[in-house]
Amino acid sequence: MLRTSIRSVRALGSRPVAAVSGRQWQASAARRAVVSGQRFYADDKKPLVDEAKLPAAETLTAPTTPPPPPPQTAPAATITPEQAPLTPPAPGPAVVPPPPPPAPPVVPKKKGFFRRLRNFLLKLVLLGVLGFGGGVWYSRINDNFHDFFTQYVPYGEEAVLYLEELDFRKRFPNVANRVTGRRAETASEQVNIPAQSGASWRVADGDHAGRQSSGVAQKVVAAKDTVKETINDIVKPEPATVTKAKKDTTALPKVEATDATLEKAKGAVAPAEKTKEAAVIPTAATSSKTKEFTAPDVNEPSVWPPASPIDPLSVPHADDPIVQQLVHMLNDIITVINYDGAADKYSQTIWKAKDEVSRVGERILSIKSVAEEEAAKQVKARIDSFDKHANDLVSRLEAIMLAQEQQWRQEFEAEVERLKHSYDDKIKLIQEREKKLSEQKLHNKLLEQAVELQRQFSQDIKKHVEEERDGRLGRLESLSKAVSELEKLTTGLNEVVDTNLRTQQLHVAVEAVRASLEDAHHPRPFIKELVALKEIAADDPVVDAAIASIHPSAYQRGISTSAELIDRFRRVAAEVRKASLLPEDAGVASHASSYLLSKVMFKKQGLAAGDDVESILTRTQTFLEEGDLDNAAREMNTLGGWAKTLSRDWLGEVRKVLEVQQALDVITTEARLQSLKVE
Amino acid sequence: MADTAPATTTAPPTRAVSRPVSEALLNEKWDRCFSNLIIKSSLGLGFGVVFSVLLFKRRAWPAFVGVGFGAGRAYEECNSSLKQAAKEIRKQA
Repeated sequence: MLRTSIRSVRALGSRPVAAVSGRQWQASAARRAVVSGQRFYADDKKPLVDEAKLPAAETLTAPTTPPPPPPQTAPAATITPEQAPLTPPAPGPAVVPPPPPPAPPVVPKKKGFFRRLRNFLLKLVLLGVLGFGGGVWYSRINDNFHDFFTQYVPYGEEAVLYLEELDFRKRFPNVANRVTGRRAETASEQVNIPAQSGASWRVADGDHAGRQSSGVAQKVVAAKDTVKETINDIVKPEPATVTKAKKDTTALPKVEATDATLEKAKGAVAPAEKTKEAAVIPTAATSSKTKEFTAPDVNEPSVWPPASPIDPLSVPHADDPIVQQLVHMLNDIITVINYDGAADKYSQTIWKAKDEVSRVGERILSIKSVAEEEAAKQVKARIDSFDKHANDLVSRLEAIMLAQEQQWRQEFEAEVERLKHSYDDKIKLIQEREKKLSEQKLHNKLLEQAVELQRQFSQDIKKHVEEERDGRLGRLESLSKAVSELEKLTTGLNEVVDTNLRTQQLHVAVEAVRASLEDAHHPRPFIKELVALKEIAADDPVVDAAIASIHPSAYQRGISTSAELIDRFRRVAAEVRKASLLPEDAGVASHASSYLLSKVMFKKQGLAAGDDVESILTRTQTFLEEGDLDNAAREMNTLGGWAKTLSRDWLGEVRKVLEVQQALDVITTEARLQSLKVE
Repeated sequence: MADTAPATTTAPPTRAVSRPVSEALLNEKWDRCFSNLIIKSSLGLGFGVVFSVLLFKRRAWPAFVGVGFGAGRAYEECNSSLKQAAKEIRKQA
């Protein structure tokens, strides 16, 4: 900032005064543009675009000329910042840049639609290119942005990849070349594995010799093939001869079998020899040809295979252990020689040894056969003698058996007869005993019957006697019972008399109470009469309950008579009538009005229908006149409000009277019931 | 002043009988109301006369106003007592 400001000032200051005055403000504008470009060229390229516009406006004639101006201006813009540090010391060159933008002083404002469109497109393209470039650049810095850019911006991935590859090659030119070169080679040429590469086979595994793939080995294989073929040719005829021999000799199987095995062993040995002979020739040839290429290694396996067939042949056929051992020994020796690679040295001696071994085997076999023939003869003679002896023995045994059978039969018959006799005797004895037993039993039964009859007779007699006795005793008991009943009756009579007295007293007491109530012209306590009644009742629960139901004030003060009640009712009715027209929540005014209006009302008579106070009062009066206290009380009880409170005392009085009357009624009924009970 | 006067007037009948007879309940209330009215209106009249003599140059209206106050107060008391009784009756029912 500081530097640029200073520089601009210097530029302004250093500028020669002799500069064209007409250009002055334009130049200053250009300078300003330059200054602004210096300031913000890193973040914003707007000034560039502005400058790019100016020349386009200059060349009015040709609309296709926009491309040239940007390069002109661009260098100017790029140069100015780069040269900025250079310019301050030398004012001379600083003057040089201004000349290029002299033309655009007066910017013509005429801008056709196409021009504007073109400018817009140019801007767009430039912005797009810049943005793309920036994106590519930034995607190499930021991984996240790289992902975004390559994924969403078209051709972004290619661009970035290209750039990356360029960079990679620049950094590692050798590696890049190699990588590409290798790829090209693999594409063009086929794989060639060098002949010596990989593991080579060893002498020990001769079986795998055929697998050699090198050109040199192929020759050896061919030689070996020929050897094998020869071996097969030799071996095949031999079994045929053996089978023929088998067919010919069938009389003595065992001996023949041994012979066959011997012959087979021979055959096995013989081919081995022959193959060795045959094999030696090619090996010699090959060894002479290829001594440099480990020829000995190749050759020896050819000696080995013929030796190997000896083992399988000797195991199944050679029954004789000695021969087997010999063959094994020889084989071991051969193998040892083969490993040592000294087959040439010992081949003749081994052949001799083999011949001798075979001869030994033959001799042993011949000896064996002779011995076996002799043994067979001896065995036959022995068998014949044994047969004769056996026949003699059988005949003798049969004779002895017959004699013994006859003897046993005779003995058996004698035994049977003896047993028969003894059993007959026994049966007779048993029959006699049974007869005796049955007789005895019959006798016993008779005796038992006699005893039972005697017993029955005695029992009958006893029964008769007892019955007689019981009858007499029963009569005596019934007599005593009758006497006791009579006694009870007498006592009951006494009780009845007592209860009668009591009930009479009760009646009297009740009557006394009633009389005391009725006689009175004014209320009088009747407590004495009640006490007497209670005493007479003597804890009778009904009487007690009835007396308890009477309010104590009733018998303490006495109850009012019906005349008194009617008199009081008249007073009460007058008061009630006064309050008959009162509303629910009555004040002074309503009370006064009801008092006044009640005087004007008509009076009803008889049993008037209706729920109003007047009709209830008339009904009560009629009931009272009839003497029906109960109904009168009920009617008055239906009143409500002030009327009820006014008649409360009268109602209480009536209730007391009713209670007393009820109690007395109960007591009288109780007394009547008791008297009925007694009767 | 107002407490003592009614007590003297209405006490004898109630005290003679320990508990008033039920049919006499309303009459008793009326008696009390009337006595109250008389006492209160006479008191008001007295106050009115005094005021008229002392303050209002013997004008007539202060006396009437006093009587009116007294009567109004008595009426209100009577009304309240009657309503109270009605409430009690309703509660009992």
